[in-house]
Amino acid sequence: MNRRFLAGARSGFRIFLPLSIGLIPWALVTGVALTSAGLSVVEAMGMNLMVYAGVAQIATLPLIVAGAPLWLIGLTALALNLRFLIFSAAIAKGFHDVPLKLRIPSGYLLIDGVFAVCTERMLSVRDRHWRFGYFLGPSLWGWGLWQCFVLTGVLGAGALPQDWSLEFMATIALMVILVPLSKNRAMLVAALVGGVSSVLLRGMPLKLGVIVAIVIGIIAGFVAGRVLPERKEA
Amino acid sequence: MDGIWLWISFALVSMATHLPRGSFIVLGQRASLPPAVQGALRYAPAAALAAIVAPSVFVVDGAVQPFNPKFAAAVVVLMIALRWKNPWLPFIIGMGVLLGLRKGLGF
Repeated sequence: MNRRFLAGARSGFRIFLPLSIGLIPWALVTGVALTSAGLSVVEAMGMNLMVYAGVAQIATLPLIVAGAPLWLIGLTALALNLRFLIFSAAIAKGFHDVPLKLRIPSGYLLIDGVFAVCTERMLSVRDRHWRFGYFLGPSLWGWGLWQCFVLTGVLGAGALPQDWSLEFMATIALMVILVPLSKNRAMLVAALVGGVSSVLLRGMPLKLGVIVAIVIGIIAGFVAGRVLPERKEA
Repeated sequence: MDGIWLWISFALVSMATHLPRGSFIVLGQRASLPPAVQGALRYAPAAALAAIVAPSVFVVDGAVQPFNPKFAAAVVVLMIALRWKNPWLPFIIGMGVLLGLRKGLGF
C-alpha cells in the first residue's frame, strides 16, 4: 500500500460509484433467481462467490437444477463468458508490470462495468501503483456491493417488488458509461455497428450473437479509425 | 440434482468464467497480441457496451420494437448524459420516464 495506490483507488472509486448502483437490481434479481431455483442460502452464496458473473449464473441455473449434462452446463457458461476473453486481452497491457499474485485475483474481479470504466486509463497511465489502484478500488467495491445485494435477494426473495422494471437501471448504467466513450468518431462507429449487429443477431443460440456483434463492432471501429480523418476528442 | 454434483457444476461454471477473464491478464507477456490486434481492441469497450445495451432497449418479447417505453427512457438518458455531468440524474429521470410510461400511462 502506498500513497499513489490509494490515490488511484480513490479516483477509480469516485468514477465508478454512481455507475455501480446499476449492479444493485441485477444482484437482487440474481439472488431471487438462485433462491427460486431451490438453492439453500449456503449453496446460493457458494455459487455466487465461486462464479461472480450474474448472466452466467442466471443462465446456467435452470440447466444445473434440471440435471443437464456437465458438458452442456460448461459450454453454455463458456459461450456467455467469451466476451471476457476479449476484455481480458484488451486490458492486459495495463497489468504487464503487476506481479502474478495480483494478476490472478484481478482476473477474477474483471466485470463489464469496471472494464468499460477503467480500460482507457489502464492503458495510458504509467505509474504502476496508481494504475493498479485505479482498477482495484472500483473492482473491490463492485464485488462487495454484488455480494451484499445478492445475499439481500436470496434472503428477501419473497418480499421484493417484481414489477418495477428495476433491471433497466443496469441498462442506464451501461449507457452512461458508453456516452463519453463514443465522443470519438471511430468509437461511435464501433458502438453503432456493435449495437445494431447485436439486435440483428439476437436469434443466435446461447447469446453467441453478442460475441459476434462485439467482434463486428471492433472491426468496424478499427476500419473507421483508419479511414475517417481523426477529429480531436470533444 | 443435489450434493456433490451441485458443487461440481458450480466449479465448472466458475472455471468457464474465470479462465476467459484471467486469460490474457494472467499470461501477461507470454501471450502478447500483435500490435494491430491490440490497436483494434481499443474499440472493445464501446462495441461490447452497445452490443449488451441495444437488445435490452430495442427488443420487446423477441421482436424489434423501436418505439417502446424503454426506448423513450433510453433517449432521455442519452440526452441527459450528453448534456450534464451529474452522475445520478440519468438514473432518477430515466427510471422516472420508464415507470411513468408503464405505470402511469399503462404502456
